[in-house]
Amino acid sequence: MPMIDQSAGKTGGAPEGVRPRDRLALLTADNAAVPLPAGVQAITAILLAGLLIALPWLGLGYRFLSIAITTLYTAIGLYGLGLQFGQAGIMSVGHAALMGVGAYASAILSVQLGLGFWTSLPFAMALSAIVGGVIGLPTLRVGGQHYIIITFCFCALFVIVLTNGGTFTGSATGLDVGSVTPLPGINFDKLSNNYYLVLAALFLALAATYLIGISRYGRTLRAIRENEQLARSVGINVDLHKLGVLMVSGLFAGLAGVLQLYYLRHISPTLFGAFPSLYLALMVMLGGARYLYGPLIGAIIVNFLPEVLNLEPVDARIAYGICLLLVILLLPGGVGAGIKNIYLAIRGGLETQGGGSNGRA
Amino acid sequence: MFRPSPSLQVRHPDLIMDIFVQQLVNSLSVASVTILIGIGITLIFGLAGIVNFAHGEFLMVGGMATWFMVGTGMNFFVALVLAGLLVGALGFAAERCLFRFTLNRPMNGFIMSIGLSVILQHAVIRVFNEFQKSITDPVGLVWTIGGVDIIAMRAIVVAITAVIVAITYFGISRSRYGMALRASVSDRDTAELMGIPVRRYVTGVFIYGSLLAGIGGALMISLFPITPFTGSVIIIRGFAVSLIGGLGNVGGAVVGGLVLGLVDGLSAGYGYPEWTDAYSLVVMILILVLRPQGLLGGTLGPKAS
Repeated sequence: MPMIDQSAGKTGGAPEGVRPRDRLALLTADNAAVPLPAGVQAITAILLAGLLIALPWLGLGYRFLSIAITTLYTAIGLYGLGLQFGQAGIMSVGHAALMGVGAYASAILSVQLGLGFWTSLPFAMALSAIVGGVIGLPTLRVGGQHYIIITFCFCALFVIVLTNGGTFTGSATGLDVGSVTPLPGINFDKLSNNYYLVLAALFLALAATYLIGISRYGRTLRAIRENEQLARSVGINVDLHKLGVLMVSGLFAGLAGVLQLYYLRHISPTLFGAFPSLYLALMVMLGGARYLYGPLIGAIIVNFLPEVLNLEPVDARIAYGICLLLVILLLPGGVGAGIKNIYLAIRGGLETQGGGSNGRA
Repeated sequence: MFRPSPSLQVRHPDLIMDIFVQQLVNSLSVASVTILIGIGITLIFGLAGIVNFAHGEFLMVGGMATWFMVGTGMNFFVALVLAGLLVGALGFAAERCLFRFTLNRPMNGFIMSIGLSVILQHAVIRVFNEFQKSITDPVGLVWTIGGVDIIAMRAIVVAITAVIVAITYFGISRSRYGMALRASVSDRDTAELMGIPVRRYVTGVFIYGSLLAGIGGALMISLFPITPFTGSVIIIRGFAVSLIGGLGNVGGAVVGGLVLGLVDGLSAGYGYPEWTDAYSLVVMILILVLRPQGLLGGTLGPKAS
């Protein structure tokens, strides 16, 4: 990963007389650390929130809303992955298994003890966080690809354990649960209400990601990502921070898993195996892990692409693969980076015309 | 996926030793395929510095190509060579079009190889279908040596693997190409200054590893039926083998493959077959955590960025 902060100040605006090739470089540059003006951030957030809240009222149909729910709970899991990869630089290709821990914990609590959605949620999230931390222990010893392979092994092991777990885990057929316990006046059997439940959780995840990003904690994580040795030498407890971010990521995954469980009402091991995990990694890379809306963009693209292009599942997966290759080769920071860079380039162009009167935030 | 062959049924309940020997030969042939994929991964990961997650898919494509060619009436051994060459060409294309651009960002190369693996898997489903494919035993002989039945094809698989291992081992450790290759791993810049075309070596290693995957796929389909999803199972075993032995260490991959193959084969015969796949995963996690450089030592792979 390139160092980002030195070049941050000058990549925003295109200097006069740049060649087209340099303009392309401006688009692929990593400007995740360039702060946007507070006004722009607020407008984006309000527009996005408004759109998401208004979605069930747009009359787009049952199928559309179902895909939207899938997209949103996936995005919640992705915000955890985005946090650990984008901020701390720890990639995982076993993240679906972590969602599975939450989902199965909740389902088993429901089947064995009769706990409902709201009561099992905290336990499931806590368990996911703990498991996330335990799988994270090897990161203290090995980094990079070795850790990725460990997460992949964990994911494969998790599926084997679930499949051989007898009636406790429901074996290959999986487990069923009832519907979300209704709140006074709100019945979650109605699809739009289920949508709002997932949306509220997404807003929580977004807010948490934003707050971590601007906090001292987030800065420390980024310092570890850029140079672990240096971070250690200035007295940062690297191990604790790494485990911490993995546990936060596990919390998000647990939340996403429980939401998934209560939306589908039925879970089976294949939902949390290698393929779903790889798709999570794909989505987070596609959207851009370092950008606030990156994971959401990735989830939207991957979930809606087959629908928009009207693809068969097999073709859709081939299309995912090709998208991923193109993004890595052409836009290593993800689609989020592309959007932000286009914005920065336009603003830079306007500034040059207006004599640079707009002060940069 | 690795089940004992039907010939291994107990015919003389008292001849436990015979059954053990049969299981051993059985396990060795299973280990052979694992060793071939492990060597490919250990070379590509340890020497070329590329983590190719699509390597298992390369093997699967090799197996599917063999199935297709044998289906058209071709001799199995001709098909084996052609499958090797085909997958070698596939590796060449992948290296030139994809991995070349991520050599200094191994993490991106890794993610890209996941994309490639998804594409290959589903391209095969698209071209054929998702059901398992098998070919009839191309030799169809059973040798009886000292009361032990040995399926000839299994012995041939072991022999072919042994030859490939020998060629690879001496190629890396004795030939000047192998020496140049090891030089470029230990210090890329200096090797380049000494006039070693490092990039070409990376490509060469990638092609060779892919070729081995193609041959491994052909051998595998002569032993077991394979499906388009075989690749994603075998890749984990390949990583396990290469990491157990130490990256870039051909001898280590052989040891790793033997250990894993024997554990698998014997556990399928004696232990709990439904947990067979779990053993290799547990072994690998333990090795990665306790001895990241592998049992026999090797490079630590490309620097994580």
